[in-house]
Amino acid sequence: MYRLLEKGDEEPVASLLTGKVSSGMTRRLPSTVVSDLAEIVGHEHVITDPDCLLVYESDGLTAYRRPPRAVVLPSSTEEISAVVGLLHSNGIEVIPRGAGTGLSGGALATPEGVIVGTARMNRILKIDVENRIAIAQPGVINARLTEATNPYGLYYAPDPSSQSACTLGGNVAENSGGPHCLKYGVTARYVTGLTVVLAGGRIVELGGVGRDPYTTLDLVGLFVGSEGCFGIATEIELRLLPITEGVRTLLGIFESVESAGRAVTKIIASGLMPAAVEIVDGPTIEAVEASVFAAGYPLEAGAALVIEFDGTDAGLDLDADRAEQCCLEEGAIEVQRATDPEHRTKLWRARKKAFGAMGRIAPDLLVQDATVPRTKLPEVLAGIDDIGNRYGLKIANVFHAGDGNLHPNILFDRQNQNELELVERASKEIMQLCVDAGGTITGEHGVGVDKRQYMTLVHGPAELEAMAAAKRVFDPDSLFNPGKVLPAVEVKGATDTAKILAIGE
Amino acid sequence: MRVDLTDSLSGLLPGEAFGHPVPSSLWAALRTGVETVVAPGSAEEVATLLKWASEMGVRVVPIGTGAHTYPRYPRDPFLVLTTSRLNEIQHYEPADLTMTASAGASIRDLSTATAIHGQWLPFDPPDVPNRTLGGLVATGLSGPLWAGYGQLRNHVLGATIVCGDGRALRLGGKVVKNVAGFDILKLMVGSRGELAVITSVTVRLFPLPVVDRLLVLEATDVSELVSTALAVATAPIMPASIILSATSDGGRLLVRLHGARVSVEADQKSLEKHTGVSLEVRNTPEAESLLVQERDSGINTELAVRVWALPSRIGMLLDVLKQVPGVRLNADVYGGSVRAYLPVNLSDIESILAGLQKDIEELGGTIRALRIPAEVNASSYFTKPLVDERELAAGLRRAFDPHAVLWGTQ
Ligand SMILES: Cc1cc2nc3c(=O)[nH]c(=O)nc-3n(C[C@H](O)[C@H](O)[C@H](O)COP(=O)(O)OP(=O)(O)OC[C@H]3O[C@@H](n4cnc5c(N)ncnc54)[C@H](O)[C@@H]3O)c2cc1C
Repeated sequence: MYRLLEKGDEEPVASLLTGKVSSGMTRRLPSTVVSDLAEIVGHEHVITDPDCLLVYESDGLTAYRRPPRAVVLPSSTEEISAVVGLLHSNGIEVIPRGAGTGLSGGALATPEGVIVGTARMNRILKIDVENRIAIAQPGVINARLTEATNPYGLYYAPDPSSQSACTLGGNVAENSGGPHCLKYGVTARYVTGLTVVLAGGRIVELGGVGRDPYTTLDLVGLFVGSEGCFGIATEIELRLLPITEGVRTLLGIFESVESAGRAVTKIIASGLMPAAVEIVDGPTIEAVEASVFAAGYPLEAGAALVIEFDGTDAGLDLDADRAEQCCLEEGAIEVQRATDPEHRTKLWRARKKAFGAMGRIAPDLLVQDATVPRTKLPEVLAGIDDIGNRYGLKIANVFHAGDGNLHPNILFDRQNQNELELVERASKEIMQLCVDAGGTITGEHGVGVDKRQYMTLVHGPAELEAMAAAKRVFDPDSLFNPGKVLPAVEVKGATDTAKILAIGE
Repeated sequence: MRVDLTDSLSGLLPGEAFGHPVPSSLWAALRTGVETVVAPGSAEEVATLLKWASEMGVRVVPIGTGAHTYPRYPRDPFLVLTTSRLNEIQHYEPADLTMTASAGASIRDLSTATAIHGQWLPFDPPDVPNRTLGGLVATGLSGPLWAGYGQLRNHVLGATIVCGDGRALRLGGKVVKNVAGFDILKLMVGSRGELAVITSVTVRLFPLPVVDRLLVLEATDVSELVSTALAVATAPIMPASIILSATSDGGRLLVRLHGARVSVEADQKSLEKHTGVSLEVRNTPEAESLLVQERDSGINTELAVRVWALPSRIGMLLDVLKQVPGVRLNADVYGGSVRAYLPVNLSDIESILAGLQKDIEELGGTIRALRIPAEVNASSYFTKPLVDERELAAGLRRAFDPHAVLWGTQ
């Protein structure tokens, strides 16, 4: 028996089926709290108007919606601290929010919660060229950091596909990845220090590049990926990399996604270290070619593989030759190679525009996310195909193949209640398939509300309790983003009173 | 340990778990002899042992081989738990570049197994071949190769652990990208046995470089080496490692380049252009022995500290440390850290350490003990974690080891 009940769990567990969880009226904040908040951040930065709150009713996973009681937009660590202090002392839950591009419902409001957004915390505070680090506020858009550091010959490596919109704070909270994380690693590798606001508004500094990381436990590493459940990151110290000299991009066209998958395994196993290896499957190619983003891929293609090498220019042609050979050995119909930026953009187009294009062929899209060992890609992709066929659902795969990080995208129509149910069942089967293959339920989008129900596929009660215990150290009363990540669990045989006692322990 | 305690334990574990020799390094560090070294043969036996210890109030000092363990002496009854019998490779899929091995497996054995497939673990802290996988993770040491490959913490994909109270947990998994839940796995890296006993680890492997080229610059004037080292660290290429070693007689800069032949050659040219210095190529096997010498030369030193600051301050750190007579220094220029080996026979060693701490903290840096003789009062001269960090770490420690059974080591 273990305690995982948190505030908010008395609510039915959100699911695609229950969809709009915003049943009933959102409780208004007491007017004294509103005016105290306004005192801290200014009137115009406290949003309580129900129409304006609708903007914040969901993140990128629009299947779950619930408007918050209010949204507060502070502009500094001190303001966040004061806001959190005020809300927590009134027992009000805080939901941190960046740009709201998250795909697991992580920034979804709880019934009693107030969103604290970082939109105004958008300054890059420092670029230290000598030590190759930057310190940024959490609301800085990911791509802006690279733009700002490019003039110094530097860039910020993690590049989620949403990088022109998502924030560094959101990246830290989700431990986000991106196409080039195959070679360069995910967000956690780049975060060297954090200023965070914890429960009650306490401001805490963790780590820092000039300090021995092992004078204490790796608290920075633990905070990264905590999905807004531990506190709010208010200043982020990040490692930068020197811009690489050269790039080669290859596009391999295959008859089937399985053979593309085998080529991936071959490339990695051959000792090559590509910067990115991405797969776009047949249904996605179809969607892209039918859209304004048409890239001129052959329509009969079962899959396209984008492979990129970067680094010292002199070695890249050799790497590209070897990768091309791997593709041909696995039955590639053709392999194109780009050396100039324009051609490169063209080869990447189907990958980059996939989500936009899919919007044209179905009203709704559920972006799934799971990781499997690379060698299992072919069999898992075949399994996903089978699941799609059995449920009569169209599933399009666009994913970080080099990492084994799948994104099966299920196309559907929300208005069709029957189809919604199929989507939910197919999702669950896909998760089980990936876990059975030795994988996990999310590689980069996080658990949020969406995947709580799947956590027990990969973790036992003891592991979940250990995670809950870690959260309690940072957030003892569960006032940060409750009801996310950890699954709701009934305390067996407990009375209602005991349940309530279990809350926040 | 009291006889009644030993008796009650011997009934719980098979005979093979007992009667193991006490690692010689522990005799010195613990001042008194260790009476009981227990070597469990499975994660279940580790759990049995820790549950027993929690009930009996016996402290447990977890070690790998003990060669790199420098515990202080627990006052309460204690025993030493070694992972030496947990030493098999559990899973190795070369095509996935991942490996799962028991915590007591030595890096030397693992490296032999991976080399057959042209793969390796790109970590090079001192004496790395003789470390155990669990020990490597528990100390969190990556070595200077993290310039080119990233730190160990980013390549530990999963682990099985037994918490202080005997709870067995499976953390992470076997895949390279995994955000299913809070990342408590990260806490294990560098946890020094304070949270749990690590029983197995899954790591990400890397392809062995086609060419591993060592460039060397020697000089009697260390400041000349420092400026070249900083120029290398800010060059537009990424070396595999940048090491600067120094004594009072001068020093040596070692830059390692990994990659295909053509790219290594191009990188070397680009470095020379950027630094304006011509670096000398050392061929194998001379290069190999030089790297091993620099890596391991201090492993028998009784007093070693690690100093850390912003990489750009490495010159200032070296200036501070050089003042200690007889000191030998080894800097990881990319990481901004320096290992300093100090002679123990200095009569005023405690005041020297106090002075170092003051100067280094004034530079915004930290100083930490890697090894200290029992005579030196360790607690006083090293940088403390920030108060908030200490409190959070203590909370986490209580969560993993509620009865404070585990006795963390340096
Ligand atoms: C088209 C598209 C493509 C995408 N591609 C990728 C991809 O390639 N790789 C990838 O990893 N993700 C991808 N994502 C998912 C998403 O963009 C990332 O998870 C991103 O990091 C979220 O950032 P955000 O600012 O939008 O955060 P939000 O959605 O606002 O919040 C996400 C979570 O972070 C928390 N949070 C936000 N700010 C803070 C803070 N300062 N402190 C503490 N917690 C905070 C929130 O509470 C929430 O739990 C994609 C999304 C879309 C829509």
